[in-house]
Amino acid sequence: MIRLSNVSHAYDGEPVVDDASLSVEPGEVVAIIGPSGVGKTTLLRVLSLSLEPDAGTVELDGDSVWDADEDRRLALRRRVGMVFQDASLFDATVARNVEYGLRVRRGWNDRIRDGLRSVLGSNGTPRAVEEALDVVGLSDTLDQEADSLSGGEAQRVSFARALAYEPRFLLLDEPTSDLDPRNTGLIEDAIREARDRDIGVVVATHDMHQAERIADRVGVLLGDGFTEIGPTETIFEDPSDERTRKFISGELVY
Amino acid sequence: MPLEPVVGLLQGFLDLPFRDGYVPSVVYVSLYVSVIAVALSTLFSIPAALAMGFTDFPGKQFVKSVINTGMGFPSVVVGLLVLFAVSNRGPLGALDLVFTKEAMIMSQFVLATPPITAISLAAITGVSDNVRDAARVLGGTRLDTALVVIKEARYGIATAVLAGFGRAISEVGSVLIVGGNITGADGVSKTRTLTTAIQLEARQGRYETAMVLGAVLVAVVLTVNAIVVRLGDTGVNR
Amino acid sequence: MSKQRPGGREGAASRRAFLAATATGATGALAGCVGLGGGRSDDQRPGVAGETLTLTTTTSTYDTGLLDEIHPDFEDLYGATVDAVAQGTGAALETARNGDSDVVMVHARGLEDEFMRNGYGINRRDLMFNDFVIVGPEDDPAGIEGADSATEALATIADAGATFVSRGDNSGTHTKELNLWEAAGVDPGGDWYQETGTGMGEALNVATQQGAYTLSDRGTFISQRSEIDLVVLVQGPIEDGPEILANPYGIMAVNPGVHENANYDLAMAYIGWITSPGTQDAISNYQVNGEQLFFPEAVSEDPNFQQYVPEGWSNSSDSE
Ligand SMILES: Nc1ncnc2c1ncn2[C@@H]1O[C@H](COP(=O)(O)OP(=O)(O)OP(=O)(O)O)[C@@H](O)[C@H]1O
Ligand SMILES: [Mg+2]
Repeated sequence: MIRLSNVSHAYDGEPVVDDASLSVEPGEVVAIIGPSGVGKTTLLRVLSLSLEPDAGTVELDGDSVWDADEDRRLALRRRVGMVFQDASLFDATVARNVEYGLRVRRGWNDRIRDGLRSVLGSNGTPRAVEEALDVVGLSDTLDQEADSLSGGEAQRVSFARALAYEPRFLLLDEPTSDLDPRNTGLIEDAIREARDRDIGVVVATHDMHQAERIADRVGVLLGDGFTEIGPTETIFEDPSDERTRKFISGELVY
Repeated sequence: MPLEPVVGLLQGFLDLPFRDGYVPSVVYVSLYVSVIAVALSTLFSIPAALAMGFTDFPGKQFVKSVINTGMGFPSVVVGLLVLFAVSNRGPLGALDLVFTKEAMIMSQFVLATPPITAISLAAITGVSDNVRDAARVLGGTRLDTALVVIKEARYGIATAVLAGFGRAISEVGSVLIVGGNITGADGVSKTRTLTTAIQLEARQGRYETAMVLGAVLVAVVLTVNAIVVRLGDTGVNR
Repeated sequence: MSKQRPGGREGAASRRAFLAATATGATGALAGCVGLGGGRSDDQRPGVAGETLTLTTTTSTYDTGLLDEIHPDFEDLYGATVDAVAQGTGAALETARNGDSDVVMVHARGLEDEFMRNGYGINRRDLMFNDFVIVGPEDDPAGIEGADSATEALATIADAGATFVSRGDNSGTHTKELNLWEAAGVDPGGDWYQETGTGMGEALNVATQQGAYTLSDRGTFISQRSEIDLVVLVQGPIEDGPEILANPYGIMAVNPGVHENANYDLAMAYIGWITSPGTQDAISNYQVNGEQLFFPEAVSEDPNFQQYVPEGWSNSSDSE
């Protein structure tokens, strides 16, 4: 379980997240919705254990992440995977990108041996890489350079890259913002499948229908902290917070 | 008529007034000194640029301005400083380094490090934070993250290395001072580089041979550039 | 003070070795040479084999190619390497002063004397000489050609305001030039007087391009004559010109008492070798463009004690 307790963060003195608390269990999908610039990405970076918040605690499976030492934190971080809003692929082939998480988890001896082999051109692609690309429908792009992919393809490769090393928690920042309906369906199926494999998923999205389709719970961020977190049905049918209701119904315009 | 200089150059190649082995040994010394100095500079500069790109520490701005000043540091001054250091009377006098390739490597190192660090730093700072974060979130260690950043910045770093190499191999003042421009009695260069050889020819008014050696220098620089660009394209990432 | 004469054992040994190697047949019979007769086999070489001698000298000496011509013989004989570094006279002496060279070969007696007085140099020998010439464009705008006096010629140039190129680099030639101006009673300066701060060869090129006068050592002038458009207007003593234009070269070892790392043995071997009759012959045989550049001065029947000490030094004079 990832648990954020009373997390606050400011960029250059400008508060972005204020006193936010959230916990995510394995096997559930949590959607975070809110207007642009409200701090969804910031929150995901905190959840991914790559951004230390100014205040509050971050726990993963009972360990307080920012109190642990560097090695422990690395081990904890390796239980999560993240898909970035802008894909953030490395300047390399699709195969190298998707393989990255697997590669850094191996010993240096193996990595050097693999490096030599790949220079000699006799390196096979790991099964997990092919499977992950299969999930996003891109198994034929293995050897393509990442910078030659379309925006939607890059987003799907980024998804495959996070999936390949089977993290226990998956953080998705607008994973379908560049996708057509068919590929959006593909990713949403993959999210459900991840939940079935007992992976905890957090999706930040602008698309309220998507949140309604895939989420078990929804958190509403409307400036500072969460205005409301609850089961999807409750949030959409019967929100207890007035601002949430206005945001859902589209009356609240930012 | 525009062909005239070319013809002159070709003729120059045919009847160079040098002993066998002289020009190759001069080219060898130039490459030996510059390549080793630039390799050492690179080994020093990239970690330094990574440290400056990734972390904040007091005095960082000052260090940056020192590096930027270093890029324009006159090479003769560097030569003099290194000479003072290695001279028999200097702090490193016991090592007996005056008029050796090692002393030349030291001064070239000092000259090449600022441009290599500064340009690498610009390249590394240009790598998007998200790519760095991606490496970390996907489970990379600090070293893995640094390697990703280096790979992303590889063209910029290659440019940095080439700029440093260009500065080192085309530099006259400091190598003349600390190296002494020495050729053995057998006509084989000990500390004579292409630049100091050109300077020697020009000093004696033999401008044609100086030009021919200049052409050799340009050819050497172009060749090294081509090799580095090739390596940057194919070797680093597949 | 050592009771040995300057050059002591090393000087003598080097001379024997040199003779052994050059005058093969005749000297083979001399008993004194038997021990060194096989000087070419490695195990019997002098103890300096494999070592490196750093010689600082002036650009004008170096650029004539003389050292390249004669050094292989030395290296062959002693199995040692000579690193010849060409600098201005001032720099050559400064390098030696810092203990960064073992032997200096320069041509500025005043500076050499100072170097010795300060204890840095010992065992000075007169080595060779050539002379300076005043050169300029063929049309000789100031009209100095054939002047008997170098100082008068310079004064004429200054009066005419004709362009004069000075080395301006604290070299032996530059020092000489300044001495000449002083003797001529002229304080050079102004538009017509240009300091280049470069070697002799470059100064000659600058003078050619500007149609200017300059002071050159004869050696550099001869070795470069084909590349430049300048002619000799005032000859030096070699061609019966004024004695004031003489250009004597001296050589001395760096004092191991001041710089203990100085390779004194090898330096003395070198001085012995270069002042030996054989090498002195080689110096006088060295020609560029068909002309002799240097005139040996080390081998003489007459004693010349002044070469060992600063000029004007006498035993009774002040002891510092
Ligand atoms: N590294 C940073 N430095 C300074 N300010 C930042 C930084 N990252 C984000 N911000 C600011 O923090 C606020 C929240 O940004 P964040 O990216 O978390 O929003 P978001 O909810 O993900 O928006 P969007 O829906 O547009 O992606 C914004 O005002 C943004 O400008
Ligand atoms: Mg965002």
